[in-house]
Amino acid sequence: MSDVSTSDGVEPDHEHHHDHEGPGYSTPQAAIEEGGREKLAYVMSLYVGTDVDAPDFVAVVDLDPDSDTYCEIVDRVELPNRGDELHHFGWNACSSSCHVEGLERRHLIVPGQRSSRLHVIDTKDRRNPELVEVIEPEEVFEYDLSAPHTVHCVPDGKIIISMLGDADGDLPGGFLELNDDFEIEGRWEPPGEIEMNYDYWYQPRQNVMVSSEWAAPKTYYPGFDLDDVEAGNYGQKLHFWDWEDGTVEQTIDLGEEGLIPLEVRFLHTPESTHGFVGAALSSNIFHFWEDDGEYRAEKVIDFESREHDDWDMPVPALPTDILISMDDRYLFGSNWLHGDVWMYDISDPSNPRKADSLSVGGTFGEVQEVQGRELAAGPQMIQLSLDGERLYWTTSLFSSWDDQFYPEEAERGSVMLKADVDPRNGTMTLDEDFLVDWGECPAGPARAHEIRWPDGDCTSDVWQ
Amino acid sequence: MTPARYDVTLDRVGGPTRTIEVDEDETVLEASRRSGVSLPYGCRTGACGTCVGRLLAIEGAESGDDTTDADGTPIDVAEAFAYRREPRALKPRHRDDGYVLLCIASPRANSRVAVGSRVQSELVDNPWK
Repeated sequence: MSDVSTSDGVEPDHEHHHDHEGPGYSTPQAAIEEGGREKLAYVMSLYVGTDVDAPDFVAVVDLDPDSDTYCEIVDRVELPNRGDELHHFGWNACSSSCHVEGLERRHLIVPGQRSSRLHVIDTKDRRNPELVEVIEPEEVFEYDLSAPHTVHCVPDGKIIISMLGDADGDLPGGFLELNDDFEIEGRWEPPGEIEMNYDYWYQPRQNVMVSSEWAAPKTYYPGFDLDDVEAGNYGQKLHFWDWEDGTVEQTIDLGEEGLIPLEVRFLHTPESTHGFVGAALSSNIFHFWEDDGEYRAEKVIDFESREHDDWDMPVPALPTDILISMDDRYLFGSNWLHGDVWMYDISDPSNPRKADSLSVGGTFGEVQEVQGRELAAGPQMIQLSLDGERLYWTTSLFSSWDDQFYPEEAERGSVMLKADVDPRNGTMTLDEDFLVDWGECPAGPARAHEIRWPDGDCTSDVWQ
Repeated sequence: MTPARYDVTLDRVGGPTRTIEVDEDETVLEASRRSGVSLPYGCRTGACGTCVGRLLAIEGAESGDDTTDADGTPIDVAEAFAYRREPRALKPRHRDDGYVLLCIASPRANSRVAVGSRVQSELVDNPWK
């Protein structure tokens, strides 16, 4: 099972060098040059929260414009159980192990957010991946953890998963570590370092990891309730960890302007201590950076709520996903409730400058259908080509939250859309020839969430 | 001793109604899977609410409208079901309104329950609309 084919004598070299013997690319620029155009996407696809009696699946989407099956779901890896809620997922190895000879980027770790079940999918055949391992929820609960979210591999073939709750779906959450045979090794951190958890990213050369906060699973699982916001049941903090020790060194409370900090990204260059986090409920983007041994965070983008005749209250933008282009020049994001995707120039990370945006889907989108297909929701999970020229997105946030804000998505299913990006001029154009429709799935309309390329992307690769 | 067995009628909102037999020591979800009746579910620990049903009637209790008995008092879930563990996904208002988590609920009476994804979406509204 191990992806380290030459296990003897493979000692990860923590001194950085440019010998590239393992998976991924030696630098972010090498990823841009050597990665090639994405021809397939793996997309989390789900039936949880609908009456379709079928398990969630991993969709393989054809992105090759020269292919006869362009824009089609060409394979579906069905999971053995229902009720998982596939959400986020990650690789067994990425560029952080580029110096580890014999390790391959080959296995996807696919957690069930609701079920706490962990799946391992072998993508040796990129077009026809295969489920090879299942870790049942009871094994996860033994470590008093549940609700797996972000998967990152770390050098050595280890895998660390952020876990949002304890075995009861309550707080505290923590981190679960798997070994390179995809067995649970134990908790990564000493318990009690944090209460709430969500996304995380690490920057090993700076010996730092940053984690964000959603809420206890029992709070966000059933749906979004304003009473929980008033009761302080949603997160507003960033935690900065000592990466080697697995301990929290500093916590920054973002305050009311930083409610529900979700996706958190460091710049790709391993030298940088700069990063960004989207505070979804407050509709703000924060920049964070290290200054004289301490991390600081400052609000740098503020999306205004907008009036809508059908709403009693101004509609918040809800920026639920962000990513940084591989060349660290642009921050991209999605405003799920408003119906926007946007790109900001972050060449000066303290002063993001709006480059362009597209108004598509959602509550206010100027484009409400593509190829005659009515869009049921706003842009949500985004993924960018390694060369920064194609931005793709899906439209589902989380089954129970979809049902509150875009109930029609359960009946119509999600779509995947694409914009062509001109990074030189900082512009985006909607590609109306591109549409992948989850409404046409054989068992019934499905939702679509996180997107990955088979050979590395802008939200999973880290450099040592 | 043979465990007591109860009839639980699953009234799918927008779909068919099926009655299944549920032992007192199994959950409604377990019995539904055993009987080949599909119910939505997620965590199976009472944390997520995907499997939620709304209790409509308890056999023997004089029922008024859907969620109250003849006196207008809300139907009491505890008369129809015992929980294996804490139903954390339900707030007090949900418990008072007769919502029941079928993944951790075992029967104590014959009953009728509204089920399906539409019941789950009743738990929370769009707070701004």
